[in-house]
Amino acid sequence: MKSRKSVSATRPLLAAAAIVLGLAISSGSLTAASSPLSVGPDQVGVDSARVVGPVQNEEVITADDNPEVFARADKARDAFGFPVGVKKVGRHVHDGFLNSNYDEVSEVGSKGQPLALTQFDGSGRLTAAVRFDIAAPPAVRITGDAAMKTAQRGLTASGLTVIGQARTDSNVADGGWEVHWDRTAEGLAVRGDETRVHLWADGRIQTVAKVEHQLAPAPARRLSQPDARNVVARQLDQWSGKGGVRYTVADMDLEWVGPNAAFDASKLNTAPASYRLAWVVNVKPTGEAADYIQLITLYVDAGDGTVIGGDVVE
Amino acid sequence: MKRAATWLVSILLAVSTLGATAQGAFAYTGHVWSNSDAFKSTCLGFNDTYPQSMYSLAQSQLALLGYLPSGALGASFTRSAFLNSVFYDYAVYAHTHGDNYWAASGSPNVDSGILQDPGVGMCNSSSRDMIRSSSIKAATMGTPYNLVVMSTCKLGASNSTMPGAFQIEKTKSSTQRKFYLGYAYTTYDSSAYRFERAFWSYLNGDPNHSRTVYQAFTYAQSIGGYASPDSANPFQANWWGNPNYNGTPG
Repeated sequence: MKSRKSVSATRPLLAAAAIVLGLAISSGSLTAASSPLSVGPDQVGVDSARVVGPVQNEEVITADDNPEVFARADKARDAFGFPVGVKKVGRHVHDGFLNSNYDEVSEVGSKGQPLALTQFDGSGRLTAAVRFDIAAPPAVRITGDAAMKTAQRGLTASGLTVIGQARTDSNVADGGWEVHWDRTAEGLAVRGDETRVHLWADGRIQTVAKVEHQLAPAPARRLSQPDARNVVARQLDQWSGKGGVRYTVADMDLEWVGPNAAFDASKLNTAPASYRLAWVVNVKPTGEAADYIQLITLYVDAGDGTVIGGDVVE
Repeated sequence: MKRAATWLVSILLAVSTLGATAQGAFAYTGHVWSNSDAFKSTCLGFNDTYPQSMYSLAQSQLALLGYLPSGALGASFTRSAFLNSVFYDYAVYAHTHGDNYWAASGSPNVDSGILQDPGVGMCNSSSRDMIRSSSIKAATMGTPYNLVVMSTCKLGASNSTMPGAFQIEKTKSSTQRKFYLGYAYTTYDSSAYRFERAFWSYLNGDPNHSRTVYQAFTYAQSIGGYASPDSANPFQANWWGNPNYNGTPG
């Protein structure tokens, strides 16, 4: 392989050649030269000044004005064993990326670098905590059981309560552990809602999340499984008619789910709705699409039987 | 007088053209590719909305990071377009189907791949649409890359050969300006989209590249709430590269 220096020089050389080419063209016809980076007429060249994406709006909050936020942050930081900075920075954030609002307190190091942060929702509940340093691989990795107990202790110290049996997964990114308590309501899973602790392999806590969506009232009359299966069968017949693809139902369960725009672009950019009780139906395509679609999940509202969203594994 | 005015206009146009050319040529290009036709009604019976959402998000956020975004949503995401442009790129983002396939030499050697967009009205075929990591590596001719995001299944797994295609070693202690992000297991689109929104929001949340890509990764990991298809496929993102790299192009 070429050295980094020599190969790094290649692209600027090509760029310089492009300027010469541009000059030659401009001196002749005064027509703008095409960049050699363009590879086809259909490609999307984007003027960065015109690219608009989601934004975060924030306002600074201080310990003087919001002592309770900073006190909660200190408590969580110490409960999880996070580093203490030389100063704290607080802000109230409207997060346009994830459509959420939270108070955030960062521990900042002597060079201005973020060491850790904690976030709290409008009612003061911890939603996320994270430390940003990186751990060296330890000589000995703690066991999953030890990770679970450490996670439990940290949560208790921070004031978070968890119910039920934790699940523990090995983390591929750093060899640590993911300990999570998945939320249930009325005995049914709330899709994605959880209390999750990520621990490094040496047993220190790196991140904590508590995700808890608001639930709509359960429907007075719950759609039966056969009726839900009929709804899905009709939906799949409709899809098969359009796409020539066949689907088979793999499994279905009742869960609380967030309605979404997975199958309906007209619902994009709508405000997040309360989670609803739904039949969550996993279907698998057969034929050509099975080559690259592993799973499609439909949410069928357990009250009115409409498809309110779903998910795709590409 | 008219002759002088003509000269002035000509000079201004030439300078303007040179400026535009130089800007394009010296910009740090980041290609964003998203396969949409394979996930449209003609193949699935419905139009999957994630390819567009992922594409738009990556385009806007790479631009904020300082890259000149280019690329394609849909039919122009072809193998030849990808391979012809990748040499010039400093950042690459792809949202499509990806997996770790056996290499031509057979098991246990892996040659990871992604699928190009099949074209309007077409569905993907692995045999026809595959862009192998070995092909990408050949097209890059050893050039370095700053930021590579494979928004696909499995290309963040330990046996993925995709990082190597971009000269990114599978270590977490590089000192060069490089960072690779991928997902380890079979991954729901909603979870990848949630992760990427959090990732970009943190990375671009403070001006002047004051945050590192690793911090953005860690932040996105921290928020939780990621659905997974089953217990054998928990949602897990992975990274390799330089933990202190702040995403600055070049």
